[in-house]
Amino acid sequence: MPPQLPPARPRAHATTITVNVPTPLRNCCSGASELALRVTKLSAVLEELEQRYPKLHRSICDETGAVRRHVNLFVNTNHMRDCNGLGTSLEPGDVVTIMTAVSGG
Amino acid sequence: MADRIILTIGTKKGLFVAESSKTRRGFMLRGPFGHGVGVYSALIDTRGTPRLYASSCNPFFGMKVLRSTDLGKTFKETKSAPAFPKDDGRALANIWSIEAGKDKKELLCGVEPASLFKSRDGGDSWELVPGISNHEHSRKWQPGNGGLCMHTIVRDGNRVHLGISTGGHYLSEDGGETFSAANKGVGAGFMPDPFPEFGQCVHKIVVPKGAPGRLYMQNHGGWAEWDGPGGRRPDIGVLRSDDHGHTWRSIAKGLPSDFGFPIVVHPHNPDTIYVVPLEPMSRTCPGGVPAVWRSENGGGSWKKLAQGLPKKESFFTVLRHGMDIDELSSPALYFGTTTGQLWIGRDGGEKWECLFDSLPPIHCVKAAVV
Repeated sequence: MPPQLPPARPRAHATTITVNVPTPLRNCCSGASELALRVTKLSAVLEELEQRYPKLHRSICDETGAVRRHVNLFVNTNHMRDCNGLGTSLEPGDVVTIMTAVSGG
Repeated sequence: MADRIILTIGTKKGLFVAESSKTRRGFMLRGPFGHGVGVYSALIDTRGTPRLYASSCNPFFGMKVLRSTDLGKTFKETKSAPAFPKDDGRALANIWSIEAGKDKKELLCGVEPASLFKSRDGGDSWELVPGISNHEHSRKWQPGNGGLCMHTIVRDGNRVHLGISTGGHYLSEDGGETFSAANKGVGAGFMPDPFPEFGQCVHKIVVPKGAPGRLYMQNHGGWAEWDGPGGRRPDIGVLRSDDHGHTWRSIAKGLPSDFGFPIVVHPHNPDTIYVVPLEPMSRTCPGGVPAVWRSENGGGSWKKLAQGLPKKESFFTVLRHGMDIDELSSPALYFGTTTGQLWIGRDGGEKWECLFDSLPPIHCVKAAVV
């Protein structure tokens, strides 16, 4: 009988969401590749990052608070623009991924 | 005692530092620092213990200022970069110039959208300079091809000269508190009124030592063939002022083109200046034959300097911050190209030699004796 595998676990505690941090920005949050936050809206992710990791926030948003032009935020596999922008609601276990836009040159 | 030449070479893919003894026989290259990120401006601050600064302009994650206290062996980010106040509505798009301020730790920084920032602590914190950043003209300035940038900052005692593309030349005579447009004689070939109060596309301004009131400007020329409203606008590209920038006159006669980006002045002779004329439409070397042109009489006449430079098939551009001169008794010129070559012009540009031929496209070059 094959060994019993543990049940799949969400990436974060049931009441939190996870933020995936790309490699070039990990030096803004002590090297962490993932951050667990207790928030229910995408805008609140940015507010929380501004408080806890101001350098990370400044790398994602400009000084007006807008998400930088070449930075994309995904909720699970959906770009925020295909949801409700920064007003997108988050459920426990959701994963917010910070990615750079495709570009070359 | 100063015994080394340091070059900072800002490229599309990071900052390089080259070092040589004063003989300039060989340059050692270090870098890239801020790997993969464009560097549009650098400063070799020789006030006290030398410090090197560079802007690191990341199109994804924003602007940073890099600082080195070991002559470019290592760089670290300063604690913060210039940023507009949250309620201002503007967002920093690029850092175009870093210059030494009045006091030892003071730095000035020109950015896109055209605004000026000041640091009093060597780049760790920055404040907006409202006298120019919130000037009544500021919301009327328009972006040039490189964006709406404040690219040139020149201090001359209590005067501060700023070059804005496209905004023109602004002058402060109270140490940088208040600024006025000072563009009398500075043409804007791309506007219906070719001599407006402001809105010119200034490319670079320099102040020579030893000639009080003198300035030179490389302006956006290339309008000799214009046949639209207002008539021809020749020779508006290379200019001189003798009254601290209040009025300007053309010194472009004798050049193959009055279009170009950099202008450099000899460190010991205020009458000797250098430009790199470019073909106005393509903004590359005229006919594919690069040359630096030198005047030794304040723009009265010009001589072509091309010994050692390619004789054909060279279509690069030298950008506004792409040429500098060191301060040795027989100074050498240095220019970097958009094709990634760094050239040295020994004996004041008489003999050219390629120091590095395969760098990323070069945005800016600074030279200093340290």
